[in-house]
Amino acid sequence: MKLHFKISNIQSRRQLFGSMHALRISLLVVVLSAFSLATTSVMASGNPARGQELAGQVCASCHGADGNMALADDYPILAGQHRDYLVVALKAYRSGDRENAIMGSFAQNLSDQDIEDLAAWFARQEGLGELGFD
Amino acid sequence: MLNRLFATLALILASIAPALAESGDPERGAVIAFTCSGCHGIPFYNNAYPTYSVPRLGGQNEGYIISALKAYRSGERKHTTMQAQANTLSDQDIADIAAYFVSLSGNSE
Repeated sequence: MKLHFKISNIQSRRQLFGSMHALRISLLVVVLSAFSLATTSVMASGNPARGQELAGQVCASCHGADGNMALADDYPILAGQHRDYLVVALKAYRSGDRENAIMGSFAQNLSDQDIEDLAAWFARQEGLGELGFD
Repeated sequence: MLNRLFATLALILASIAPALAESGDPERGAVIAFTCSGCHGIPFYNNAYPTYSVPRLGGQNEGYIISALKAYRSGERKHTTMQAQANTLSDQDIADIAAYFVSLSGNSE
């Protein structure tokens, strides 16, 4: 009798734990999807039209208006580069984490929004591709 | 006269030699660069912490690839994985890899 009571108690505990667990998971799913929606909209906030305008004033003489030109051979092609990589690179130049006298001084004058806009513009141009290994 | 000829030949050879050493062999580069495909050959592959897309290199400028790899090798440009990779590369390896990458067409070609 005593033993039976213990077992049923454990079973009901398990049931309770199971439903709590399910509730927690569904809550987590809701929170995560809200978070991913929020980050996507923040990350995609670059305005390519404004980026084009800014690129024409600041970047074009070395990288070309669409990022497909390089004034020197060791300057990179920017057209078609990943948007988020361009953001990371420009912020690293601005902070000095990535050292380059020319890019450092240009990046100093860029706001976060400028960087997002420029990245949105260059990423949309036809240019670089993935490494195709065939 | 002969001395002058030798001197001229030596000068010509001396000017050609570095150019030869610098020019990469894309076929050899393709073999060495197989390692690179583990990150750069996968569309939208992400760098971890901080998370961002690993850069596209197909069709990138030869000179830029060379300067980037040498900067990683010297530690001037910092990225744990890229520094570790570049540390294993000779100047010739770097030139070959760059010659291979530039030979790959980008989206526009």
